[in-house]
Amino acid sequence: MTRASRAPLLRFTAVLVAPRAAIESIAADPPSGARTFFGAALWLGLFPPLFAYLGTTAFGWRLGVDPLFLPANIVFAIAVAYFVLMLVGFASTAVVARWMARTYGADSSWTRSLALVTLVGTPLTVGSVAHLYPNAFLNVLVLVPTLIWSMYLLYRGLPAVMRTDAGRGMLMASSLIAYLLVSWVTLLGITAVLWSRGFGPHVAT
Amino acid sequence: MSEPSHSASADRYEDRIVTAFTACSIVWAILGMAAGVYAAAELVWPQLNLGLPWLSFGRLRTGHTNLVLFGFGVSALIGTSFYSAQRTSHVRLFAPRLAWFVFYAWQLTIVLGAWSLLAGWNGGKEYAELEWPFDIAIAVTWVAYGVVFFGTVARRKISPIYISNWFYGALIIVVAMLHIVNNLALPATLGKSYSLFPGAQDAIVQWWYGHNAVGFLLTGGFLGMLYYFLPKQAEQPIWSYRLSIVAFWAFVYSYIWAGPHHLHYNAIPEWVQSLGVIMSLVLLAPSWATMINGVMTVSNAWRKLKTDPALKFIVLALAFYGLATFEGPMMAIRSVNVMSHFTEWTIGHVHSGALGWNALITFGTYYYLVPRLAGRPLHSTALANAHFWLALAGIMLYVLSMWAAGLSQSLLWLSLDDLGEVRYSFVDVMRAMAPYYLLRLVGGVLFLAGAVLMAVNLRRTFAGARTVPVSPPAVAVAYPAAIPALGATR
Repeated sequence: MTRASRAPLLRFTAVLVAPRAAIESIAADPPSGARTFFGAALWLGLFPPLFAYLGTTAFGWRLGVDPLFLPANIVFAIAVAYFVLMLVGFASTAVVARWMARTYGADSSWTRSLALVTLVGTPLTVGSVAHLYPNAFLNVLVLVPTLIWSMYLLYRGLPAVMRTDAGRGMLMASSLIAYLLVSWVTLLGITAVLWSRGFGPHVAT
Repeated sequence: MSEPSHSASADRYEDRIVTAFTACSIVWAILGMAAGVYAAAELVWPQLNLGLPWLSFGRLRTGHTNLVLFGFGVSALIGTSFYSAQRTSHVRLFAPRLAWFVFYAWQLTIVLGAWSLLAGWNGGKEYAELEWPFDIAIAVTWVAYGVVFFGTVARRKISPIYISNWFYGALIIVVAMLHIVNNLALPATLGKSYSLFPGAQDAIVQWWYGHNAVGFLLTGGFLGMLYYFLPKQAEQPIWSYRLSIVAFWAFVYSYIWAGPHHLHYNAIPEWVQSLGVIMSLVLLAPSWATMINGVMTVSNAWRKLKTDPALKFIVLALAFYGLATFEGPMMAIRSVNVMSHFTEWTIGHVHSGALGWNALITFGTYYYLVPRLAGRPLHSTALANAHFWLALAGIMLYVLSMWAAGLSQSLLWLSLDDLGEVRYSFVDVMRAMAPYYLLRLVGGVLFLAGAVLMAVNLRRTFAGARTVPVSPPAVAVAYPAAIPALGATR
C-alpha cells in the first residue's frame, strides 16, 4: 500500500505517537484537500461536540458548585453549533494560512494548508475527550497541555508541511497563533453575547 | 551605579542615563512581578498575609501594579526614549543634568511611593493610588522629562521627526494632562486628600485617566519603543512609514474617548457609555494597522531569527498586541461587558496585554540594547531562549486560566434561584475559583523565573563594563527635493 493511499485519518492521528515521522510523511506526500477534509478533519471535528453532548447530558456542567443541567434541546443545539464552529474555524484557518503563505514564501496550495490545520488540530480534538466529564477545571488542566502540544506541532510542522524556511516558518506560525488567539477570543465574546441574550444557561442580565 | 559626571564631551550621546534607567527598570520588574506572584498566592492561601496589614492583598496588589507600571514600564520608556531620541535626532540629550534629575526623582518617587502604598496611603483611584505629595512630585518630574525629550527633538539635525518620537511625545503630553487633571484634590493631611470632582463626574474623570494610561502609556509609549527598536533589530525600514503616520493620528484621536466603557451599567449617561463603545470599536483600526506594520517589517528579517533571540520576543509581542487590542474593544460591547465586567476575564485581558505585549517588547528591546550599551555580545543566547519559552508558557497558563475562571465566575454570579435570589454566595464562588488561582500562580512564577533569567543574563553581559561612548554620525543627512516623510512606503 503506498503512503498516499493510506487512510488520511490514520496518517494524521499518527502525529499523536510519532510526531516527527507523521510530519515528514505528510510534508512529503500530503493527501489531497478533499481526502484530508472528508477522510480526517470532518471526523476529528465530530469528537469535541459529541464528547461535550454526552458529558453535559450525563454529568451537567461543573463549575465548582452544584452541576448545572441544561434542557436536552439546548444541549443538542449547543453541540450542533460547536460542530459548525469547528468546521468554520478549520476552514477559516486554512484560508488565512493560504493568505499568509504568500508573505512567508510558503506553498499556498489548499492541499498543504488543509493538511497543516488538520495536523495541528488533531491533538486538540482528541484532547476534547475531557469534555466527557464537563468539569471546567479538569478541561482546563487537560486542554492547556494539549494546546501547548498543538503549538509545538505548529512551530515544528509548518516549515515542512508548507515548504518554507525554518525562520520564515517561525514567523508564519507566530502570525497564525495571533489569528487563532483572536478567533478564540471572538468565540468567548460570541458566547458571552449569546448567554446575555438568553441563549444557553439562564443568566440574570 | 557611579555618580554621573557631566563633563562628558558634548559631541557624545548621553547613554549612561539609558543604562541607569534600564538597570532600575529590571530591578522594578523583578520586585513588581514578585509582589504580583505573592498576591496571587494569597488568593490561594490567604494566611500568607501573616496577619500583617502591609502584606494584605489590597495593599500588595496596589504595590504590584504601581511597581510594574511606573517602576518597570515607565523607567523602560524614559530610558529607551532618551536612547532613540538622540539617535533619531543626531544630537546629544538636551539638558543632561535635568535628565539625571528625572532619573533620581523618578526612582525616589517609586521607592517612597511603594512604601506609602504598603503603609496604607491610598487615594482610592485605580492606577492613581499615590497620594498628593507623590502626585506633585510626579508632575514636576514628568514636566522635566518633557523638557529634556522635546528639547532634544527640537535641536535635531534631521528634518523629519521620526515616528517613534511622535509616540513618545504623545505619551509625555497626554500623561501630563491626564495625571494633573485626575489628581486634582484637596489635601486633608499629608497622607490623605479628597478629589475635587464629585460622584459620577469623579468616576468619568478617573476612567478617562485610567483608560488613557493604558492607551498612551502602555500602548502609545511602547509603540514608540517598537517603532525605533524593531527596524533596528530587523535591519529593515518600517514596512509602511505612511501607515505608521496615519495610524498615529487615528490612534491619538480615537483612544481619548474610550474611557467610559469602564463604567457600563453605572450612574453615567447612557450616551456617554455608547460613545465609549463606538470609539473603542473604531480604535481597532489604528491598533491593527500598527500590528500589520510590525508583522510585515519583521517578515523581511527572517534570516536574523536563527542568531537573534531578541527578535522572537518582538514577534510574539506583536501577536499578543493583536490579541489584546482586539479583545479590549470586544469587551467594551455592552452585552459582552455584562458578562465579563468585574470577573477574572478582565484580569486575564490586562495581563495578555501587560505580559504578552509590554513585557515581551521590553525584554526584546533589552536583549538588543544592553549588549550595545556594554559593547559586548549577549552573555548567553541559550538563557535568552529559555526565557522566551518560560515567558510564553507563563502567559498562556495565566491567560487561559483567567478566561476559564472569568466565564465560570460570571455564570455563577448571574445565576438566580427560583425566588430570584442570587444562587451562589461570594464564598461559594471564591471556592470555585481557587484551582484557577493556583494555575495562574504557576503561570506567574514561570513568567517571573524567565525575567530573573534575563536579569542574570544582562547583568553578566554588562559586568565590569562601562557604557560605550557613541558620537552622532559626522555626516550631514541629505534629503531629496521632497522629503519623503510620508512617502517612504516599501
